[in-house]
Amino acid sequence: MYQSRLTIRYLTSRFIPTIAVAAVALCVALVIVVVSVMTGFLNMVQSSGRTLMGDVVVTYGLSGIPHYDRLMDTIEQHESVEAVTPIVDGWGLLRMPYPDRDAKQSETVQVWGIEPHSFAEVTKFADSLQWKSVSENQRDWLLIDAIQKHEEAVLSRLDDDTKAFVIEHVNAAARSMNFESVGLAQTLEDTLQTEDWEYILSLDPRLTNEGEVHAQGLSLERDGKPAIVSGLHVSEGNERQDDGSYQVIRNDYWWLPRYTGTLTMLPIDAQGGIIEPESIVMPFANEFMSGVYIIDDTRIFVPLHVAQQLLHLDEAEIVDEDDPTETVGVDPAKVTSVLVRGVEGVNADDLRAIVQSSYLKFYDEMPIGTFVMPPPLGDPGLVIQTWEDQQRSFTGPVEKERELMRTLFSIIYLVVAALILSIFWSIVFEKTKDIGILRSIGASRLSVVWVFLQFALVIGVTGALLGSLLGWLITTNINAIHEALGNPPIAIAIGAIILGCLTIAWMFKRSRNGDFLPIVLGSLGAILFASIAFVVFNIRAMGGLVIWDASVYYFSHIPNDVDWNAAIITSIGAVVFCLIGAAIPSAKAADIDPVKALRHE
Amino acid sequence: MSDSLLLQGQDLRKTYVLGKTTVPVLHGASIDVAEGAWVSILGSSGSGKSTLLHLLGGLDRPDENSGQVLYRGQSVWEQSQRAINDYRNNDIGFVFQFYHLLPELTVLENACLPAMIGQVNEDGLERAEVLLKEFGLGHRLHHKPRELSGGERQRTAIARALVNEPSVLLADEPTGNLDEETGSEILGVLKELHQDGLAIVMVTHDPSIASQGTETVHLRRGVIE
Repeated sequence: MYQSRLTIRYLTSRFIPTIAVAAVALCVALVIVVVSVMTGFLNMVQSSGRTLMGDVVVTYGLSGIPHYDRLMDTIEQHESVEAVTPIVDGWGLLRMPYPDRDAKQSETVQVWGIEPHSFAEVTKFADSLQWKSVSENQRDWLLIDAIQKHEEAVLSRLDDDTKAFVIEHVNAAARSMNFESVGLAQTLEDTLQTEDWEYILSLDPRLTNEGEVHAQGLSLERDGKPAIVSGLHVSEGNERQDDGSYQVIRNDYWWLPRYTGTLTMLPIDAQGGIIEPESIVMPFANEFMSGVYIIDDTRIFVPLHVAQQLLHLDEAEIVDEDDPTETVGVDPAKVTSVLVRGVEGVNADDLRAIVQSSYLKFYDEMPIGTFVMPPPLGDPGLVIQTWEDQQRSFTGPVEKERELMRTLFSIIYLVVAALILSIFWSIVFEKTKDIGILRSIGASRLSVVWVFLQFALVIGVTGALLGSLLGWLITTNINAIHEALGNPPIAIAIGAIILGCLTIAWMFKRSRNGDFLPIVLGSLGAILFASIAFVVFNIRAMGGLVIWDASVYYFSHIPNDVDWNAAIITSIGAVVFCLIGAAIPSAKAADIDPVKALRHE
Repeated sequence: MSDSLLLQGQDLRKTYVLGKTTVPVLHGASIDVAEGAWVSILGSSGSGKSTLLHLLGGLDRPDENSGQVLYRGQSVWEQSQRAINDYRNNDIGFVFQFYHLLPELTVLENACLPAMIGQVNEDGLERAEVLLKEFGLGHRLHHKPRELSGGERQRTAIARALVNEPSVLLADEPTGNLDEETGSEILGVLKELHQDGLAIVMVTHDPSIASQGTETVHLRRGVIE
């Protein structure tokens, strides 16, 4: 077929198809990157909500839901429900155990009292725990803590020489370990008698059992006491590294599971008045990272019964107002929320309806004469909602933002479409005379249009594929690119300066005979390379550039999953616009009599 | 109507519209071309001779109230679009003053283009090659038109016009853009083709070139005299 041959010749013997392919590819890549990041951002907001709170939440404000065990049993009976867990949600003040004086001493925290076992079934609590095992430094710190805490018992077992050795080494380690590792465990193990060493190890189960720190986090218990699991950003001692991991500052000196903290909460009476604040000293068991910055920055988990006690939501006797010695009934323990997780494949809205009907059943089945009744379903304070609704205040602005981006993108799409249309229009318009020639030797209109459709198809498909590839490369590496932008290597600036000098040299060489084009191209190149070098130096002078600030965007990393739906739609759109851009002018040229087309210059 | 008449133009009228003014070019020109004839249409520039040739070749449409172009007794413009395409592709060969070759294609590809379009002559490529070699372009087959001289380009255009073995060759000032020596080379080629039995209609303003044909008609003020 002559069309294919002509198409190949048009594609290969001119420079303009390369520019057209590059333009289509850049447009497609641009759209894919921005849409992917925006969509990924919204998905992260929504899915993090789900992993943190299950599918459906039953909440009854501050006064709490009584008889929640019965409610949970009723809900759990339904086959669509996977797990249920109670929550006590309140605000508190956590006195931090920072070992250095200049740090902030107290943090306002959102306290979630949880039943760790069922909570882990509803949410991804187990995965979110930060410390799965103990590092070498952390183990050394625990060793120092254990020996210092049980100093007398430990030293009494040792002879004088060993005693002096242990005292010297432990003290030296305590002084220097916050800036360099000393390998204390190895030193002591080598020096001490086996039974003495084993005695020291028995002082803290975390010294012998690697997974103990994770198990303590999962059970919210350390040394038999209720313990805190706090968000990773609650402590100022955790620092994000360039690779996205976290490290505890000063060689794990500030590692929170070494310490205890004091939690203070304000219980509220039935009328909403504040009763005396309640405090409790608790050890830290572990830390968690959900990936949502505001949650990691403010939330701590404590055992349910602790939160209930602090907020006076635990079981209590109700006394006669006139005679306080007379007990008239029992106020049952309460929780502020119940989280429900559906079995795989159940839609959150369907699950909400199931939970609603379960609640109705629970309310109806309360024994007659129950002293403290749960709120009826119609109570305005009682809210049963999906995680999406619950997160609305959080996702709402993001959704609005996405709509705004969509509008902006419709405009960008139009610009891209107009660009592609005009490129093809000018390519085909320039070929009007060729169309006249083809028509004058008997080519049909359709076959002439087909030449240009093939031409556009090849450019469109090549451009879309290259654009998708480029979009994929940029999107999947966006965090690395962001890091590099934040701290651009000096080599880029030096390379740009060298290229700039080469460009100027080329310009002088080529423009010696009076040509003007080399001057224009050379000047543009020199300006481009100088700008790159300037930007790199400027960013370095500012101490790096942070575009994605975790405290603004909630997440500690930029979403880097390609939105393939958007990619496919964009690619198809680009090809379609190429085809339209080629079809209209070629059909127009094919329609006129060959003689008129031949006169086109 | 005589059986030997190949191509006829009957009372052809053509008016061009340029903005608000209308420019009548042909006022009822009639011409008969017999099988194997070489008709030279002689006329001064602007007399409408190229327009007449375009109408005969099916490249331009006569006015509504005009007569018609008949090829072997059949009206060209009353046929389907497909038939008109076939007519341009198979029955006539057109040679332009300005060659009109496709710049991206090689000499060989240009010459066999009508064969590829029509898909009637499966041996189009072979035939194009034979023709080009016959016209002394054997060493230029894979060159682009811009690498050729004017005479070589015109010979390529003639090869293209002949590749589908048409019954008539329409040549619009085929030597108009060439120097005298090259022009006479081209005329030599046409003469040989005519001797082989090909009918030729040639437009020119030069009486000496017109005299090469077997028959000369004059076009004046849009009418054949």
